[in-house]
Amino acid sequence: MKRLILSFVAICSISAQISFTGNTETRIGESSSGFYYNETLINTNLQYSAFTNWIQLEYSDPPELGRSINGVRKFRLEYDNGPIQLKLGDLYEIWGRGLVLNSVDDQAIDRDSGIRGITLMYNSDLFSTQFIAGKADISQSTINALGFNNRKHNYHTSHNLYGLNIEKLFGDHNIGFSFLQGLEKHPINTFPSDTIDIKNQLHSLNYGYMSSLFDFYVEYIMSRSYEFEEDTWNSHTTGKGLYGNLNLYFNLFSINLEYINYRYAALDPISRFNIVDYYGFSQPYQNPPVAVYIHENVLMNRISHQTDFNNEVGYKAELMGSFSDNIEFLSIFSQSNRTHSWVMDENFMWIKDKKLSSLPNYNPAAMPFKDFYSELTFRSFNNNLFIKLGYADTKDIVDLLQNTVTDTSQSLTYSLASAKTIPLNFSYSFNNGWSIESKIELQWLKKGYWWYEEKNNEIIADSLMSIFLDDDGKRLEQEKNSFISLTVSKSPKWSFTLTSDQTSVKESFLENKSIINPLEKFLGIDQERNWVNIEFVYHLTSSMRFSLMYGSLKGGLLCTNGVCRIIEPFDDGFKISLSTVF
Amino acid sequence: MKSTLYFIIPLLIVSFLFADKKRDMMLPDLTIKLINGKKTRLSTLLEDGPILVEFWATWCAPCKKEMIFLEEYHKKYSDRGFRVLAISTDSPKSMSKIKSYIRAKKHTFLVGLDPNQEVAKKMNAMVMPTVLLVDKDRKVSWFHQGFVPGDEKEIEAQIIKLLDANNQMDSN
Repeated sequence: MKRLILSFVAICSISAQISFTGNTETRIGESSSGFYYNETLINTNLQYSAFTNWIQLEYSDPPELGRSINGVRKFRLEYDNGPIQLKLGDLYEIWGRGLVLNSVDDQAIDRDSGIRGITLMYNSDLFSTQFIAGKADISQSTINALGFNNRKHNYHTSHNLYGLNIEKLFGDHNIGFSFLQGLEKHPINTFPSDTIDIKNQLHSLNYGYMSSLFDFYVEYIMSRSYEFEEDTWNSHTTGKGLYGNLNLYFNLFSINLEYINYRYAALDPISRFNIVDYYGFSQPYQNPPVAVYIHENVLMNRISHQTDFNNEVGYKAELMGSFSDNIEFLSIFSQSNRTHSWVMDENFMWIKDKKLSSLPNYNPAAMPFKDFYSELTFRSFNNNLFIKLGYADTKDIVDLLQNTVTDTSQSLTYSLASAKTIPLNFSYSFNNGWSIESKIELQWLKKGYWWYEEKNNEIIADSLMSIFLDDDGKRLEQEKNSFISLTVSKSPKWSFTLTSDQTSVKESFLENKSIINPLEKFLGIDQERNWVNIEFVYHLTSSMRFSLMYGSLKGGLLCTNGVCRIIEPFDDGFKISLSTVF
Repeated sequence: MKSTLYFIIPLLIVSFLFADKKRDMMLPDLTIKLINGKKTRLSTLLEDGPILVEFWATWCAPCKKEMIFLEEYHKKYSDRGFRVLAISTDSPKSMSKIKSYIRAKKHTFLVGLDPNQEVAKKMNAMVMPTVLLVDKDRKVSWFHQGFVPGDEKEIEAQIIKLLDANNQMDSN
């Protein structure tokens, strides 16, 4: 396949009728704690008549996240002639809202669910259909397989896929149908290592309506999986999912409502993220919508909710509009939980307690999450002055540790993360190209274990045991975080940013002490928990951008669309990046 | 490591030498899905005149700041055949609110959808926001990555430059 593509490139290259564009991105970083990466990505786009070709080369030794590659990372050949489109190579396709298929290549968290294969599409104004066949080799990180590592995935599954998607427009109405089957080689925890064969079948139906007053979309999916045992496919599990979206448009504001209800499997609190021993449920190439708002500010994203794609019910309501030409507002409320509450039996084994309603509620035994965010934006002086002030209140029951219930007592323990955050952005642009910008985020974070004990209708305990300790080892109720960045820029050439990221206390589970860099010493910030860096961005030409960062970056949880990954801190080092377009 | 450097260093030199030759960058006649559910071709969008393409997402704060100015330029230069096309790269996880965002902000420019970033890759938009000024022949006359306050003045200067060049060609 690669030879075929490369031959095509060679043939096209000798022709004068081709159009060739591309880009490169080189990133190099090294910290005092020994963290080092060096990666270059080169994308080339080649067009010849109705053919286009995309090749992505990677040279990494090692990359910031993931495994080293030296050579072709991705390639695709496309033929596009009127309503017919054919693609061969690495495919990233989305059907509907991603309930059946949403293959992504998210390098920020090293998540790649692309399919290497072939797809044939027919698109007309009123009808479209797509057939796809190929193989998806997907890597994930899990503590349930050997070799868990923050930087490299340790669990790999391969899926042979084929499927069909059909969409038909009837005026303002749209109806769609999808079918996708995957044959999975699923590695299990045995010695010597072995795999089992799983067949996953996904069917979905969707309906959409668009008008000037409102839009509506609903998609329903049914999944069924089979396990190959004794020369036959035996039914393993069934599941279903529902996604709904309603947008309402008014003169001064609009409302966006989303609802999710995923019921592929109700796994107990210990097993719910165990992708090794529990299989045949939601698939890594699905990536459906989540009931979590993607925040623009740094501190809120660090405590973002990790969605359980097997079992989650939730909604998100968003109101946005303007009071006047200069003042805009945004308000969001989102909430989700698991479909059942969970209790422990007399042997301290988790069992499903009761099925909850199809609307989210805040029962701690169902590991709920809720998030409120509101912001006001003010613009003035011909849009040269920009001020944004927000407020966020988030509560997430991260894990359920104990819930024993008798006729006369209950003992409930869960781990909790809750935070109140105030982000403030300010920028002013002078008429000579100079501008100043500041971002200030303040956060009051509570993390710990909530203990609730009730006996004979009397509450014995109902309090949080914080994980935050002061220097003397005394427990503190909350941690104060601040993230401040100040930028001076001269458009369109350069910008200079100073960023300070501070926490008030040590997080007790973090053992490694951060390294205080000379910049922090110079600024007189000598607390143990702070990360200061400076970044200089320079546009060498309008299509060539260079950035140099020196200092430290706080690691932690990085969540993208409900999928989270721990990113290691970067202490006292340099990061250089250069991107060019040619 | 050494072999990697042998490859990367010449590549960077070549990139540097050719980076500013993007004026010859010719875009393929891409199919673009619009927010109203219809599909169109880049060549169709360019029939009336040049367009400015911006790649953005609902979670990208600088993109949204830039869009305020793009709306202004879309209205200001529409009588000269100029239009703005803002292509959202929101994935299905946030794409439901694209239209409500555009409606709430009262933006009138064209909005495209590129949830799997296929169009963005073909237009070499690696960071957000990225802005491309595309003339009637699908040639990229100006390319810019990122947005800091003040960039809007450079964007407007480039729009005027392209429109003036087009006028001159038409009169010739």
